[in-house]
Amino acid sequence: MGRIKKKGTSGAAKNYITRTRAVKKLQISLPDFRRLCIFKGIYPREPRNKKKVSKGSTAATTYYYTKDIQYLLHEPLLNKFREHKSVAKKIGRALGRGEVGDAKRLEKTHMPKVKLDHIIKERYPTFIDALRDLDDALSMLFLFANLPSHEHIPAKTIALCQRLTLEFEHYVITSHSLKKSFLSIKGIYYQATIQGQDILWLVPYRFVQRTAGDIDFRIMGTFIEFYTTLLGFINYRLYTSIGLVYPPKFNAKSDGDGGELSALQLEGKGIDNGDSAANGEASKAITSAEAQAEADKIAALAASGEDEEDETTVAQTEGEEENTEAIDTFETTAEDADVLPQPTASNEELASLFAPFTFYLSRETPRAPLEFLLKAFGCRRVGWDGTHGDGAFTTNESDPAITHQIVDRPALPADALPPVPAAAEPTNGDGPQPKAQWPRTTMPGRTYVQPQWVWDCLNQGKLLRPDLYAPGAELPPHLSPWVKPKKGEYDPNRPLEEQELEGEAEAFEEEDLDDAEDAEPRLITNGEMDAIVDRDSDVEAGEGMDVASDSDEEDEEDEEDEDDEFEGFNSDAESEISDGEAERRQHQRELEAEATGTTLESSVPSSKAKSAEIRKKAEKKRKLEDEERERLKMMLPRRKRKLLKRIEYGENKRDTEAENLRRKKRKLEKVKAAANAL
Amino acid sequence: MAPNPRKRKVVTRATPDESVEDEELGDGLLEGILSHSEDESDDEAAASAGSSAEEDPSDDEADEESGDEPDLESDEVPSDGEEDIRRQLRNLSTAEGPLKRKTSHLTHEQEEAEAGDAEHEAEASEDDDLKPNYTVTTDAHGNTRYLYHEIDPVYESDDSDAPATANTIGNISLSYYDNYPHIGYDINGKKIMRPAKGEALDALLDSIDLPKGWTGLTDPATGKPLELTEEELDVLRKITRNEIPEEGYNPYPEMVPYFTGKLEVMPLSAAPEPKRRFVPSKHEAKRVMKIVRAIREGRIQPYKPPTVEEEEEATDFKTYDIWADEVPRPEHNMHIAAPKMPPPGYDQSYHPPPEYLPDKQEKETWRETEEEEREKEYLPTSYDALRKVPGYERFVKERFERCLDLYLAPRVRRNKLNIDPESLLPKLPSPDELRPFPTTCAAIFRGHEGRVRSVSVDPRGIFLASGGDDGFVRVWELLTGRQLWNVKLADEDAVDTVKWRPGKDAAILAAAAGEDIFLIVPFAILSPDVEQTSRDLIDAGWGYAAAKPSTTTNGATKEPPARWSRPGKRLEDKGVLVQATVRSTVKVINWHRRGEYFATVSPRGQSSAVAIHTLSKHLTQLPFRRLKGIAQSAQFHPSKPIFFVATKNSIRSYDLARQELVKILQPGAKWISSFDVHPGGDNLIVGTYDKRLLWHDLDLSTKPYKTLRYHQEAIRAVRFHQGGLPLFADASDDGSIQIFHGKVVGDLMENATIVPLKVLRGHQVKSRLGVMDVDWHPREPWCVSAGADGTCRLWN
Repeated sequence: MGRIKKKGTSGAAKNYITRTRAVKKLQISLPDFRRLCIFKGIYPREPRNKKKVSKGSTAATTYYYTKDIQYLLHEPLLNKFREHKSVAKKIGRALGRGEVGDAKRLEKTHMPKVKLDHIIKERYPTFIDALRDLDDALSMLFLFANLPSHEHIPAKTIALCQRLTLEFEHYVITSHSLKKSFLSIKGIYYQATIQGQDILWLVPYRFVQRTAGDIDFRIMGTFIEFYTTLLGFINYRLYTSIGLVYPPKFNAKSDGDGGELSALQLEGKGIDNGDSAANGEASKAITSAEAQAEADKIAALAASGEDEEDETTVAQTEGEEENTEAIDTFETTAEDADVLPQPTASNEELASLFAPFTFYLSRETPRAPLEFLLKAFGCRRVGWDGTHGDGAFTTNESDPAITHQIVDRPALPADALPPVPAAAEPTNGDGPQPKAQWPRTTMPGRTYVQPQWVWDCLNQGKLLRPDLYAPGAELPPHLSPWVKPKKGEYDPNRPLEEQELEGEAEAFEEEDLDDAEDAEPRLITNGEMDAIVDRDSDVEAGEGMDVASDSDEEDEEDEEDEDDEFEGFNSDAESEISDGEAERRQHQRELEAEATGTTLESSVPSSKAKSAEIRKKAEKKRKLEDEERERLKMMLPRRKRKLLKRIEYGENKRDTEAENLRRKKRKLEKVKAAANAL
Repeated sequence: MAPNPRKRKVVTRATPDESVEDEELGDGLLEGILSHSEDESDDEAAASAGSSAEEDPSDDEADEESGDEPDLESDEVPSDGEEDIRRQLRNLSTAEGPLKRKTSHLTHEQEEAEAGDAEHEAEASEDDDLKPNYTVTTDAHGNTRYLYHEIDPVYESDDSDAPATANTIGNISLSYYDNYPHIGYDINGKKIMRPAKGEALDALLDSIDLPKGWTGLTDPATGKPLELTEEELDVLRKITRNEIPEEGYNPYPEMVPYFTGKLEVMPLSAAPEPKRRFVPSKHEAKRVMKIVRAIREGRIQPYKPPTVEEEEEATDFKTYDIWADEVPRPEHNMHIAAPKMPPPGYDQSYHPPPEYLPDKQEKETWRETEEEEREKEYLPTSYDALRKVPGYERFVKERFERCLDLYLAPRVRRNKLNIDPESLLPKLPSPDELRPFPTTCAAIFRGHEGRVRSVSVDPRGIFLASGGDDGFVRVWELLTGRQLWNVKLADEDAVDTVKWRPGKDAAILAAAAGEDIFLIVPFAILSPDVEQTSRDLIDAGWGYAAAKPSTTTNGATKEPPARWSRPGKRLEDKGVLVQATVRSTVKVINWHRRGEYFATVSPRGQSSAVAIHTLSKHLTQLPFRRLKGIAQSAQFHPSKPIFFVATKNSIRSYDLARQELVKILQPGAKWISSFDVHPGGDNLIVGTYDKRLLWHDLDLSTKPYKTLRYHQEAIRAVRFHQGGLPLFADASDDGSIQIFHGKVVGDLMENATIVPLKVLRGHQVKSRLGVMDVDWHPREPWCVSAGADGTCRLWN
């Protein structure tokens, strides 16, 4: 007979370890443990059976794998932490004695430097693994690149974040790996595909971030420490993989002038120095405004000339290369052969989407994202207002080379604008060309668009009609490029009629009619209020009506629901009866008409009646389907029925969401139609 | 008391042991003399409290005064008071003594005595220190005798008693005695008279020049105004200042360096100075050389502060490819990568399609819900231009929460339910495939009085036989509902069951009324040849029982389980040809598929509950000597020699050929009412009085494969369609018949599909009985039901 096994010596009880015990085992403090976990990527586990693990106690605890903690025991960082602790003690002692110099020396020479290189290698054995985990890293670094320094995040780290993100952006630009971008209310999402990995990151809008509340910057700082190391190695690898020198040259002066992307100058085999030359010229110190204008013009002309030449050469080389690099399309010769799918060569097109244009960014547009996007999609000549900072292709708005100007101001009538200062006029007039300045004057042949145009173009992979995005125009909705239309979900790209269920449109119609009837007299009274509130779009007008009719509408809906419930099984019978009744009446009318000898004017049933008919039919059909489904469900065993219930819960939620959206859409369409009719 | 100490005082006048006699020194005169004679103590007293010396003359006066007041001056009282005060005073004046003393006890009057006493005291204590505490005398024999002084039990002494109280009124405020001339009682119970309070003039004088020790307090013990001496006040002052009350005490005396301060002139040892004091240390040289060597070899580098650039280089830029020699490592089994953040949807757009914007109510609900409980952490908003988009104020917070999730949230792999719900639903045949099944009532057979207990459709599908409470067996034309034939079998007993013999060649109806079983060939409704074959079949058995009487082992003729006879002229004319009488009431008749045998069940008969009758021999056998439970029904297997018997809550199947029990089915029912075997023979349906219909798959288990509960009342009869249609029906007391589709597939792997099809309602419930029996047409999807309302119905 074997020994009696003691409880809690094997199995789950041994496999898991609580956090307190882990900290004790590692003999470090809790903050150090936290740091270690963040660096090593160790996270708590949820035991399958908590009771077995906790030996009966049910208190909420965090559990780690014992193996994970054992693995931490061998971490060289642990020693660093201990050294750090002892040095910190010494420093504290020195400070306590008032020996500041000693403390300084200790800190400078004895403080151990934590290097995370080995951890990077350990956590990401291959480069692809690292890329896979880059989403959070980029989002964090981009955020901190825009944050002020903090007690726990020194200015040096912030500068490093800025530098690393800029480097990464440069890589994305040169490798044309940016695929999509999206303007959300949270910030700007970008998606790049690097070595087959989709990397999605979010960059906040450039405002002061709210950092109040429960935010522990020590934790964020630890993450930042890890992510900066990671992105450093990734950048090195990315740069060297496309033949660039890493680190790129950093122009401190340009950076000081707000050069951002242009503060870094890439060097390598694939980079011609045309850009950097232009940048260098632009960044030259210029004494007077006039001289600056002149110089700008010259620079712009020269640059444009160069670029045009470049373009042609590029085109030529492309033409030559076409034979070698592009994928040939394979045509099957016989009919019975299988057709293998081939990738479309749209990547090249997408990469050079904005290549032939010269952009000018107005003062009010966000320069950094636009510059990044335009450059990432092939545009090499992006100029902007001088207030935006250093590194513009041109700062002269009236440069004739500019083909597109991105403007985010409504076009106001000329008399509404303040007069141009008289002093400025003659100086500008001296130049060979009048200074074109939106919105006072527009340059002939130049396209003025709103920033959204850029995003929509690149997301759809083609140049869209710029007139839809003209300054002051009502923009088309900006849609997320990542949403894939799924069955049963509402898709704003498709017309409403395709998506509506049978009879739904009529149901909505009916509701709306009822609403309209209810709301009409009230709308007039509401008119006064609307007049006060400036309504510049139809949508808002529609909303105005909503305000009036909301409660009624709900009541109506409720009533209808109640009706539905009340009708129960008899509803179809009733509808049949009513249908029959209608028919009979029609027939009666026909008979009467015959008797009097008049031709029956085609008494088209009112749209309402018609829609009601359709709706009823659809409802009936749906009810039948439901009944059939219920019948099937009755035959399921209980376990499966529960599973089905769970699945259906999700589906129903999705369906109601979609229906809600469709209902709103229908209403909006109606309002729009009414507005158009007026 | 007084004379004794006085005497001793005389004796020991020379010895300065004054302390003993202190209490006796009540005399002011003596006191005065003493105090003046003792210079040392006087000096001390004068230094500490100058007032005491001044008060000396007044002492005399006070003594004179006290003489005037005989009550107060009564010998003990003042002496007691004096003792008390002296004790206190000693504590006060000696530095060593404990300083806890109640100054409040000091009163005006005692003060006078006290001054003198203090001097005695001081003197006594000094004397104590200097002189031995004994005197040497010679005793009667001429030897030296040591006369030890009497020990004065002063406060410091070990046997100090509680201080004798002058006033014995205890802890009571003196104000209670305000109206009396006295202020309390002394130890002897005599009144302590109120001391003469200063007159108005005195009071005025007091107020004009306050005496030095005036406190304004009243001594509660004596009722006199409390005054403190200068000395006492000084002590108090020092105590309040946390100083040591003793005069001239130095808490930090100068340290006298006894040993180090002295300079030794002569050396302690005469040893010569050792050599090592003049030779450089070898050990040190060794250590230095070690360091020198290390420096030479470059093991020790002089510290060089790193330049700023170096530092930056070291931290900021990666100068090597960490993945230069990457080797893919298979992901650990238990590792779960952090899930990526989901990409934004349409409603996160800065300018979403207007239908994604929340309406007023949705906004309201979003705002009202707690931050943690919100479905979305943002409210979709539309801005008509990019320049109007504000910063997202939760940005840092969200990033921080993500960070927390990354390192704090336990990761669990959850299987996402990616099942098409349609696939879960059973593959049911479409309703069209299920057809045909009975849906409507096609004919009603009226004629019975009282309940119809049993119905049976004949194998050719032309006739319907029914038996009811009125004792009639009636035969109807199935399609039209016309009554063709009837016979009254019994007057008082109901016809419990009727059953046609299977087989189309003959038409024999078995019916049971009470204990009698009748075999009937309905007269004049059958075609002559069928009638003839039927009669022949029945008649073949006559005389068989007589020829071979059953005998028991001992040879005695045993009473046969049933008596087969002719029922009599009246019935025979109608076509009732045979009457077999068994021992108890027959409730169920079931034929074997070949029509040769039929089984009857009479639940009341214990050993004869189940009987198998042979038609061709007119023979009745009782297969079970004893049956467990009450038999409910019995059936033959449709193809094998197996016999099923249902008792109250189980069904047993017996192999008739081998005569053994094959299987016991446990439907789990409380009371089985009826059952039927599927024509395939592997499935069984069981109806129970506890409202359940159970489907048993004999191959699967002894437990039911499906339990159906669709009836509100007990189920009376269940029946499979025998003609190849996958239908079965059950009849219930709630007046409904339910039709099911029950398809059995030959494949063993596939279970039977059961689909509820139709509820047939029409029968009325009478005295809580609804439908009594149900039977199927042999070929068509028609079924016939017998109702408690006296009708039969045909459903198609």
